Order: sequence, then structure tokens, then C-alpha cells
Amino acid sequence: MSFTNKIDEWMKEAEERPESAVTIVRLIARRLRELTERDEELLAENIALQNGTRVEEYQKRITHLEYQLELLKRRFGVDGDTLVELPTKPVESTTSSMLIYNAQGRVFRVELNPRAVSGGNADTKELGRITGEMVTDHEPPRLLTVPSNEEIVLLFTSGRVDTVAVSDIPTVELGGAWDWAQAALPNEPRAGELLACVTPFSHLPLSDFFLQVSRRGCVKKTMTSMAQSILSNHYIGKGALQKSDQPFDLMLCKKQERLAFVTYEGHLLGLDVDDLSYASEERIRLTATDYVVASFTTRPNESLLFVTQTGKVVHRESKSLELPKSANAKGQTLIPPSRLEQGVRFMGAASVKDSDSVVVLDATGRLKLYEAESMTGAGSIAADGLILSIGIIPADSLKRAAS
Amino acid sequence: MSLKVGIDFGTSNSGVAVYDGQHVKLLPVDPKNVLPEVIKTVLYITRDYRTYLGQEAVETYYRDNVNRQRRYVKQWAGEIDVYGADMHYVRDIFVYVDELKPGRLLQYLKTALRKDNYQGTQIFERYYSVGDLAKTYLSLLKQRAENVLGETIDAVTLGRPVKFSEHPEQDHKAQETLRQAAHEAGFKDVDFELEPIAAALDYEQSMTKSQNVVIFDFGGGTLDIAVMRLGDSKSRKVYASGGVDIAGSDFDRTIIEKRMLAHFGYGKVKHHPEIMDMIHAIPDWMALPELGTPINRNILEKAIQAKIAPVRLKALESLIYNDLAFTFYNRVEAGKIALSNEGATVISLEDKDIALWELYARAQFESDIYHYLIDVEKVLLDTIAKSGLEPGAIDAVVKTGGSSSIPLFTGMLARIFGKEKVKESNSFSSVVAGLAIKAHTSSVVE
Repeated sequence: MSFTNKIDEWMKEAEERPESAVTIVRLIARRLRELTERDEELLAENIALQNGTRVEEYQKRITHLEYQLELLKRRFGVDGDTLVELPTKPVESTTSSMLIYNAQGRVFRVELNPRAVSGGNADTKELGRITGEMVTDHEPPRLLTVPSNEEIVLLFTSGRVDTVAVSDIPTVELGGAWDWAQAALPNEPRAGELLACVTPFSHLPLSDFFLQVSRRGCVKKTMTSMAQSILSNHYIGKGALQKSDQPFDLMLCKKQERLAFVTYEGHLLGLDVDDLSYASEERIRLTATDYVVASFTTRPNESLLFVTQTGKVVHRESKSLELPKSANAKGQTLIPPSRLEQGVRFMGAASVKDSDSVVVLDATGRLKLYEAESMTGAGSIAADGLILSIGIIPADSLKRAAS
Repeated sequence: MSLKVGIDFGTSNSGVAVYDGQHVKLLPVDPKNVLPEVIKTVLYITRDYRTYLGQEAVETYYRDNVNRQRRYVKQWAGEIDVYGADMHYVRDIFVYVDELKPGRLLQYLKTALRKDNYQGTQIFERYYSVGDLAKTYLSLLKQRAENVLGETIDAVTLGRPVKFSEHPEQDHKAQETLRQAAHEAGFKDVDFELEPIAAALDYEQSMTKSQNVVIFDFGGGTLDIAVMRLGDSKSRKVYASGGVDIAGSDFDRTIIEKRMLAHFGYGKVKHHPEIMDMIHAIPDWMALPELGTPINRNILEKAIQAKIAPVRLKALESLIYNDLAFTFYNRVEAGKIALSNEGATVISLEDKDIALWELYARAQFESDIYHYLIDVEKVLLDTIAKSGLEPGAIDAVVKTGGSSSIPLFTGMLARIFGKEKVKESNSFSSVVAGLAIKAHTSSVVE
């Protein structure tokens, strides 16, 4: 049936029942508006195709995908052809390394030997001892466990970034005594810069955003599609609003994940990654003496672990993490004000499973290993000095190393 | 005394009601539906044989199926003997099966009962006969009704059309299949009542004096007519009954054939014969879901690559492979329903790669289904003649069923009997209410 015939039929309806004419005109007008909008979209698309904008966009996307592919190749140490077959191969047969780094860019790498780590009385196993100045530039050392074939990003306080392969960092012997002066210096901070954090990087293709957290609780997310530009320019930005503020953490995350961060004076704040802004925003109201000491993304089946400088362990279910109603909240309080007045302060926090292990670094330089389950069960840990930092060794990384 | 309910197992919608001797209570068996007392006669069976009905079935189907992934695997289906002039050989037959298909949505279960060429269907590893499908639906409906009432239901009065089929054997077979299904669903005592008579029983509740009444029950699957003397239960009499296999689903089919096929190129583009076969299958709700094979996709893709009406064929591909058939039929039905109140409506479907828009006026609809009006009028006049009454002797005409609201048929009734004699009843509840009354009466007698 031709369109003209249809019009004749509509006219017939309008003649038979004049009240239908209004309905017909209304329906046609609505359709006309829809088509006009669609026409405008198509014209805009046409212009984008003609002036090359769309081509550029696709080229950027292709470049980004190529870059991600390159990263995957480097991570798995294979060529492109082999990469296609990867899903059928056991990709997890690699060891894990613990990185201990300080603000001056010094890094120790310890290959985690599952026997040494989990054998014997694992409750208080000593992984090693660090000598030399423990707190430099008012920043305690930090701990990170990564696969040994991982690629890491170093974020400096100026907002500069650089990448290093973990395997390029020399290892130190497990259980030995290590001096900061002999630690590796994969990328020396420039004048006025400090190393803010180290973050694993190879799961970039599976992530949606970079997330930056500053010491004063500013949060900023950046789409991972910007990765190529960030890495080629070696700059991601400070992610802080105040001049006195500085970057604290950088991580990769997915849309649906939830970010948690914990402050020195025991405030816990949860944020939905999807709701975060692309610009730096102060998300927590901190007192002048307070600052962020830990940030991480929470996962289902994991619980939250908080450690004070004296070894007190606070354990919470991850579902207890509340999302603030206002954009600039105080967060949940982990300890009562009276304990705060007594001088209790938090030094570390993480999202853990019962089967994970926790490495605790104290002021004497001892790195001790605890089982997360026994730590949360006992409610405290005995340390030789004040606790400076904690790090998590995921149970699956030990299994991987064992295999 | 065991509890006996009335169930209207309709082609498009069903319902359950109970009568306590004074009031009919329609049970809210589908809390998710806009009218909880009306439940769609739709059944969804998942790959792990979980079953859903009504609105829940529709929602689960949409959630699991629309725009889902597909993966076809070749499966051995059997073998056939091929005989030539002096040779005989056996050939294996393979079919492509979508192994990611999460479930099957089944509708028009009642129509399936009266189709002599439809015995049942294979749902994943199990074969469901027509009776099995009816049993599955009825047992779920029984459970829902029991949950509402908080007690066990042992007996049921089921509605049935005047004629399941024009052939007495097929008609008997359909009723016995339904009876067996109801027994298997857990009803110990099962009896039947003609749907128009059930509607009459409901109408009788509002009568103050005896009258000659025509019940015009025009639903989704059949038209059922009964000419009765109503108003006094002692002198209640059925003068005549009649029916025909014309109803809402036929109108939907006509709309698709006459108005919607052009959107896929029918009558406008010279398509490949195999593509024409696919287009011809669109109005058939049983055939359309079966079109989604890799071979058909290949044919469509080739034609699209060759730029033969690519937009229309992409729309056809989307309709078949994005599991939009159910949405498509629903939109057509919704358009038809809208025309009972409006002079014009739009039948549209917009999804991935498909954008249908059809402005449909009542004059067009009436022209499209005019041939059905002639058949319906003939059956109505034949039934009146069979009753021995003149149209002038009819005191009231009671319309029930969704299709009875179509102005073309309301106009026909007004023309034959007079506008003032045509009475409205609740399109969706009068039959089930009457069945509940019948159930109560028969259980008291027992």
C-alpha cells in the first residue's frame, strides 16, 4: 500500500469521525518532531564524518586498544598470536612479589615464597627487617603485593607518573635485613617531588577509571581511555584542590565498585565509583590534623580491617560501609571520641578475606606476617614498636606462587 | 465440603473466582498485573524447567531474552530413509540449536488445544504435549489461588467455548485434554460450563425480572453466543448456542498481514523466496520464534550486504534474532485495543536495528476486518434463528470478552437489536464470575 493510499484512509477516518482528526494530527505531529530530532542527529553525524572528527575519534579508540593489547602482551610475555589463545592457557602460574617503598622512591622487592610465608607458625612470621630511617619526609613506607610479571605505575606528588616492570626491580632475600640505602631506585623523584604511591597497572584493559585520592580527601576519576595520553605525557595530575594537599593513592577500578577511605583519626567514608566526579572534589570534611591513611575498593565476600598505631584491630563487615548522603560528609566513626583523646590513631586499613595474610611494618623496621582471620579474631597484634604501615598478601597470590 | 472455584482458562487472559452464595470474589492471582484479578495466559519455562506464568512470565522472558547472545550448535535430530527408484539410503538429520536460549515463552495455550495439527512442543530436553502445557499452567494457577485463599482447592468448574472446534471429535478431544490436565494439576473434581452461559449467570445476578438475553462472548480465541431465558433460576433456559473460530487473535493477525509486513519489504521489494517465507511467517506466533536459525541469518546478512532493502531486512533480522516477536505481537494487540476508544493510534516498535511506526486509524481497522463482520453477523443471526426467537423478542444483548468492545461489532449489535438493548459487562471478569457461581451451585447440589 502506497503512502498516498494511507493518507486517503486517514482522511476517510477524519471525515467519518471528525473527532479522530485531532488524534491523527497529534500523532503525526509527534512523529514529525521525532523525525526532526533524528534528522538533526544524522546531519550532525554526517558533518562529523565529513570533517574527519569521527575518523579521529575511531583512530584514538584504535590506538587505545592497541596500547591495551601491548600491555597485555607485556604482562603475559607473549606475542599477539599466542595472546589469542590465552583463555585456554593457565595464565596465573607466576610468583608474587611484595614491594616496600618509601617517599624517596626507594623500593625493596621480596619474592614471596609460599613455603617460607605460610609454613610453620604463620601467625607471627617475620618476613625481614629494614634498617635505616623509617619515616622520611613525614611519610611512612608503604607495602604492596603484586604478581612478579606485573607492570606498576609510580605516582609522584607533582602529579607525574612513570611505569616500571616489577621484574626489573632487583629482589632482596626473604627473612634478611635490608637497608634503605641499598634499596632499588627505579625512578628517582625529581627536585621537590616525593613518591606518592605505586599501583599495579596491567588490568587497565579491564578497568573503567583511574581513581585518585589525595591526603585531604579529594577524589577524582579519569577514564582509562585517557591512559595512552597520561602515560605518554607522564602526567595525571595531583588530584588535589589545595596547594598544601598532595596525592595519596592511585588505583584502577570499575564502574560498579565502591571506594572506601580511612583517615588518621578514624573516619571511614564509602563512595560509589560511578557517582564520582571527573574533577577533583573534596569528599570528606577533615579536621586540620586529620588526613587519609588508606584507600581501597571493597569487594563482596571481603571484610574491612583497620589497624591503629598501637596494634588494635577493628574489623567490620563490608556491608557496614555506608554511603554519605551529602557530597561533603564526615564519614563513619571507627572509635569513640574518648579513645581519640587518649591518642589512638589509625595507620592502615584494607579490604580482606579471612584466608588472606597481613604484613605489618613497625617502627623498628620489622615486617611481620599475620593471618587475617587470627588478627580479626584476637582483635589486636603485638608489635615491637608503633605500627607504621600494613599490606595485604591475597591468599590467591600465594596459591598462584605455590603452583 | 471441599472448596470449588471457577477458572476461566482464556486464550489471552485467565482468572479464578470463588462464590460464597452471596458475593463473587475475584482472586488477585497476578499481583504484578495492572488488574491483579486478571492473569495473562502466558507460560515461561526456563532451561532448568522453572516455570512462571502471567506477568512474571513476561517479565522473566524480557529480562532473560531480549537482545541476548546466541550460540548455535549442530545437534543430531534423527535420521530419514530416502528411497529412490532402485536404491535406499539413510541420512542423518542435524538441527542447529541455540544453546544459550534461556527459556521458552508459550502463549495461546487454549488455541493449541483445538489445533488438530499441534500436538505439543519440545522444550529443551523434554517434550510437552498440549495437555502437559495446560497442566503446568493450571497447577501454577491453582497454587496462586490457594495462596490467596489460604486453603486447598479440590474442585473446579472450567469454562469452555461453545465450540473448541467445528469437528465434534476434535471438540471432544480438546475438552478431555483440558479435563485430564486439570486432574493432573491437582483438581479432584472437574466439570465444565460453556463460557457464554457462565457470563449469563453473572449477568443474571443483576436482573430483577425474566428476560430473553443474548450473550455475546467475544474473546481472544473464539466467539461464543448463547440465547437464553434468564432472571429466574427455575425458569432458566438455553434456547440456542453457537460459535465460530473468529476472535481477537485473528484481528491481530490481519493487522500484521495488512499493515505491518510492508515494514519488512512485503509488497515493496522483490525479495529472495526464502526471505519471503520468513516474512510470511511473521503473523504466525508459533512459526516466528522458530525462524532464528544460522541459515536464515546468513541469508538475511547476504541480502543486507547486497543492499536489497537493507533497513527493512535489518528490521526483520532484529525482530527474529533479538527475540522481539512477543513485544511485536503485544504492540499490535495494544494498537487494536486502543482503537476501541480512539479514532487513531500508533503501532510502533523501536529497538536495536528496528524502528517501526504505523499510524492506524479506526476506519482502516474496520476495513481490514470487515470480512469477519459478515461471518460474525451470520453466526449471530443463525443462532438467533435456531433459538426460535425473532431479534425483536430479545430483551438484552450482553457483551463480554475483549473483542466485544470493538466498535464495529458493537455497532452491528446495535443495528440488529437496538442500541438500548446492548449491555456492557465486565469484559474480563463476567465469565469467571459466572463460573464461580456455577461451581458453588454444583458443589451445593453434590
